[in-house]
Amino acid sequence: MDAAAEQKYNFDVVRWFTVMAVVYLVVGALVGVYIAAELAWPVLNFDSPYITFGRLRPLHTNAVIFAFGGCALMATSYYSVQRTCGVRLWSDKLAWFVFIGWNLIIVSAVVTLPLGITSGKEYAELEWPIDLAIAVVWLAYSFNFIMTLATRKSSHIYVSNWFFLGMMVMITYLHVVNSLAIPVDLFRSYSVFSGVQDAMVQWWWGHNAVGFYLTAGFLGIMYYFVPKQAGRPVYSYRLSVIHFWALMFGYVWLGAHHLQYTALPDWTGSLGAAVSLAMIIPSWGGAVNGMMTLSGAWDKLRTDYVLRFMIMSLAFYAMSTFEGPVMSLKTVNALSHYTDWTVGHVHSGALGWVAMVAIGAIYHLMVRTFHTEMWSTKLINAHFWTATIGAVIYVVAMWVSGIMQGLMWRAYDEYGTLAYTFAESVEAMHPYYAMRAIGGAIFLLGAVMMLINILMTVAKASSEGSLQQARTAAATA
Amino acid sequence: MKEYFSTNWEAMTTNDWIGMIMTVVTFFLMIGVYFYALRPKNKDKLEKNRFIPMDDDAIDSGDKNGGK
Repeated sequence: MDAAAEQKYNFDVVRWFTVMAVVYLVVGALVGVYIAAELAWPVLNFDSPYITFGRLRPLHTNAVIFAFGGCALMATSYYSVQRTCGVRLWSDKLAWFVFIGWNLIIVSAVVTLPLGITSGKEYAELEWPIDLAIAVVWLAYSFNFIMTLATRKSSHIYVSNWFFLGMMVMITYLHVVNSLAIPVDLFRSYSVFSGVQDAMVQWWWGHNAVGFYLTAGFLGIMYYFVPKQAGRPVYSYRLSVIHFWALMFGYVWLGAHHLQYTALPDWTGSLGAAVSLAMIIPSWGGAVNGMMTLSGAWDKLRTDYVLRFMIMSLAFYAMSTFEGPVMSLKTVNALSHYTDWTVGHVHSGALGWVAMVAIGAIYHLMVRTFHTEMWSTKLINAHFWTATIGAVIYVVAMWVSGIMQGLMWRAYDEYGTLAYTFAESVEAMHPYYAMRAIGGAIFLLGAVMMLINILMTVAKASSEGSLQQARTAAATA
Repeated sequence: MKEYFSTNWEAMTTNDWIGMIMTVVTFFLMIGVYFYALRPKNKDKLEKNRFIPMDDDAIDSGDKNGGK
């Protein structure tokens, strides 16, 4: 079977994307822990502009979202589309172009962001030449995926591919519109939008990067890899269809809830909040659908550590998709906005949902594409607990810190003057910033364990000759 | 309440009309998809697709799922 699959499908590019995803997870988390430590202990800036929070923060977000997340999405989508369609990728050359192109974009981000070369748009900081490269590589990635679907042998397109496809279409549209800019020189440009329109486009992109890239794409992972790892079909296919269409229709409306109490017309924020609340229903439907896939086989969680990652990720997904809509309500937003609560919310989604479901899928892919067992199962278990404990410490620290911040900022005395200075609120945050750095460091420790386990598994496959055997058998078949 | 939901139709631009029509049409299409997915008659037809990932270890996986 290994040899037949090796012959039939392109696993080479999947293997490279898989390993690189883990490398970027470690790099991204390392930068994240460092900047978290900088906030707690500013001396770590070392008075160097290149490593200040302002320059390293976009490097952290780009590394975890586009480097780790992107490689994980490309590995899993290219793997699952081949398996569910029963055909090889449409073009091997285009797949390698995507792999090389995407990694060169990541390298360019690593170089330009610490140098302070940025468009200043959150989650879209890279300057216009790199934006153009992103558009070209993303279109090549999408085109190869779509052509693979077009040449499929199965009559039905499985739901995971719908989610990946939705992500590809929407991210193309969002990236191009949000990045429209007038270049001034090679490393500087200005957005074609101005004022409140620029803010609206920024958050139309910003929230939909969450909605279509970090949610729809990773739901594609969930709908293929949870059933595969559990060895059971998804609980309800009809629920997955409803989940997909509700997500596609609903998410595009939400961006305005990031701009409550601003110059944006009041009704747009209300609309964003109303649709955000409505989105709880499909999101929880999807989370329940994933979890109930284990219905009747919950005992698997005792022994299958990879499955634990996936089910834990769904718990975080359900939690985040409830918390987000609540935070979008104007009354709650008045307290939560601009505080660390938002940072906590983002990381419960990023560490808990996105990273954990991707990590589970990556462990699954390692076994299937390197044709060997993981080097250490105990290390996977240790990784699960460090990732979970690290994420919980991080999120709890930011919840407490954020709510305290919000309350301190708006407290006033009997004369109507503010009860606390801004500096006092910063001082009050210090213990929680230290706690956040510790939580992040624990999560990073797990990521390092994963990288060691992955590299040792690659070495094991090489020494056992399992990959070589599969290739040789495929070549002689 | 009546005032809150009142609309100045005269002030609607072409872009406003295009956007509104597209949104309402898409909304009804989504309702149509819900109706299709939840209709008992379509249950077996849709639910049989649950097994696609389960079948894909076989080398003829694509052909097994109603191959084209």
